[in-house]
Amino acid sequence: MSLPLAKAGGARVPDAAGRWALVLLGAVLVGTALSTPMVLPAVRLLLGALGLVFAYAGASRLLRARFGPGFDPGVWLAGTWLAAIVLAAATADLLPLPESLDPSEALTEPTYAAPSAAHPLGTDQYGLDVLGQIIYGARVSLVVGLGGVLIGGTVGTLLGLTASYLRGRVDGAVGWGTDVLLSFPPLVLLMALAAVLEPRTRNICLALGILVIPSFVRLSRAAGLKVAGQPFVLTARAMGATRRRILFREILPNILPSVLSYALLVVAILIVAEASLSFLGLSVQRPAPTWGNMIAEAEAEFQTHPFLLAPAVPLFLTVYSINRIGDFLRAGKEGD
Amino acid sequence: MAGQVTVAETRPAGKSAVPAGRGRTRRAKTARYVLSRVVRLLSIIAGVTFISFFLLKLTPGDPVATALGPEATPEQAARLRASLGLDRPVWEQYLDWLRGVVTGDFGDTLAQPSRPVSGELAARLPVTLQLIGLTVVLSLAVAIPLAVWSAHRAGRTFDRAVSSVLYGFVAMPGFVAALLLVMLFVFHAGAVRTAGLALACAALVLGLVAALRARRREASPLPALIGGGAAALVGAAVHTLLPEFPRQGFVPVSDGLGANLTSVALPVLALTFVDIAVFTRLLRGDLIGELAKPHVLASRAKGMSTAHVLVRESLRPSMFSLITVVGLTIGQLIGGTIIVEHVFRLPGVGSLLVTSVRNGDYPVVQAAIFVIAAVYVTVNSLIDIAYTYLDPRVRQVNPV
Repeated sequence: MSLPLAKAGGARVPDAAGRWALVLLGAVLVGTALSTPMVLPAVRLLLGALGLVFAYAGASRLLRARFGPGFDPGVWLAGTWLAAIVLAAATADLLPLPESLDPSEALTEPTYAAPSAAHPLGTDQYGLDVLGQIIYGARVSLVVGLGGVLIGGTVGTLLGLTASYLRGRVDGAVGWGTDVLLSFPPLVLLMALAAVLEPRTRNICLALGILVIPSFVRLSRAAGLKVAGQPFVLTARAMGATRRRILFREILPNILPSVLSYALLVVAILIVAEASLSFLGLSVQRPAPTWGNMIAEAEAEFQTHPFLLAPAVPLFLTVYSINRIGDFLRAGKEGD
Repeated sequence: MAGQVTVAETRPAGKSAVPAGRGRTRRAKTARYVLSRVVRLLSIIAGVTFISFFLLKLTPGDPVATALGPEATPEQAARLRASLGLDRPVWEQYLDWLRGVVTGDFGDTLAQPSRPVSGELAARLPVTLQLIGLTVVLSLAVAIPLAVWSAHRAGRTFDRAVSSVLYGFVAMPGFVAALLLVMLFVFHAGAVRTAGLALACAALVLGLVAALRARRREASPLPALIGGGAAALVGAAVHTLLPEFPRQGFVPVSDGLGANLTSVALPVLALTFVDIAVFTRLLRGDLIGELAKPHVLASRAKGMSTAHVLVRESLRPSMFSLITVVGLTIGQLIGGTIIVEHVFRLPGVGSLLVTSVRNGDYPVVQAAIFVIAAVYVTVNSLIDIAYTYLDPRVRQVNPV
């Protein structure tokens, strides 16, 4: 929840020297945490986290002093992360990564290697590079998140739009179908679909798409009802516009903004849903990496090799970033 | 839907002044509303049975082969096929299954040795229900104080810190939370105890410093002392009282309440993350709205204490939408415990569903999906109906 108003009225902003001191202190703490092989990894972790918090606080104050109090560095960080992950996933084949897909190619690599220069995040039980798998796994997550929203959003919006305009029996049937689909808890429906479909990326997209159809139907139906009552729609009808023209040229453009801002949040939900399904072993199978199935494989070994849990970090950051940007966009829309 | 209903304001105190004669029509209206909800509910449950039956019929693979394994003779396969009714038309099978559902008979498991599915489900339901109950209670116990204090200090440091931490909670997938908890409390329990001690010391020092600064500003040092003391107590409790949590498994209550609670503590904690965030954000928003109302101002002007204003004047009317969301959460948790049951190997309905989907044990999957969905939609409808009794405006705002 971003509270720009509240932030402006918050604590007294220290002068420039204080802000730089905060950034420096944070950098020193992070540096200490990274460079000193101290006894307790927990202490290093704590120092690093503390350093990041300080550095962020100092940097955000500096930036706010430079760009005005409305500046939200968190949103920029979130955007940078998303851009980086999309870029990495798109160019994964071109990046100079150690072998991370085919176990038979990685026979000479050390297994369960600790992070090093050759393997920045270590290797897994087959000797496959964890960082490379995370980047390839990002492909699955992003494709499935976007594909699912594309399928579910298109079908759901069209259904909801049609139901809101035609009313009557069509509306009743669509509403009943929506209620039936919504009466399955999401993960349960997803598991049932996964049991039916072969676990491939395309099918997972389809299952996730079906999963989100009802919420898009609800949203677009409600928004469509509101717009359909407006005078310009009546005018278009009076002028003899065809039903298709009214639906797609008059009503659809008016409900599109709210559908799109909702779709962004659904991408985050679907990425988590796919990861959960992968974690349960019902999505894309090993050795093809996804964030969820990597974590599932790490579950047996993470007491001795905690670095295998690394995919949890990009998963968390991606979902967090999407939520953050979604909230920022919505807040901007409401502020207008 | 109850989700669309927002509680705008409380009813004025003189609500008993209903004109004579309107009571009966109102009751009739309510009855008609409830009846329509029940009819709707039944039609939706019929749809649910349809989907849970026919979706699984599309599953690739032969259930008989799954049950018997590769060494079965054709005669054995034919016998099992006949005893499962798989040689008859699909519609007959569906009607047969429906008849079973009505009488509580979901057939037998395919996994050998074959047992009645309803027995399997009944044995696992209590575990899931315990998880749900504890999760809701714990979430509320954390969320309500957090929300009250956040609303009181809206926009200040405490509120912003709580908001951003909860924001992180929302973005944390359930299995990540569960594994992190295992890592902390099972693998590094010693570090957690040390951290508890460190927290206790730090809280004491910070509390004292804050109290001294408050004295210098001639403000009351009590809040700082109380806050610091409470945090120090929590830290000390973590240091001394932290039990050994098992990595996985479930201990029934009959083997001792303490062992039972430690075996479900981590799963419940993992489940509470999201719920705490949802409850706190909702209640905080309602409370901020309520605190801006004239009756709160009046009460403040009369010099009532902060505690009275927060709890008696604001919290009570704000609880309304929270109660709805708690109900919805209970419904969602029935399917939502799957992940933690899987991570912690708890013998609940969710882990039954996971193993049956993996093994292709379709009678169990059908039954589990149906039971979960039926409970979920029934709970939601009950909330809707209860709502119309609690707040008559819903009937007018939202007629079916």
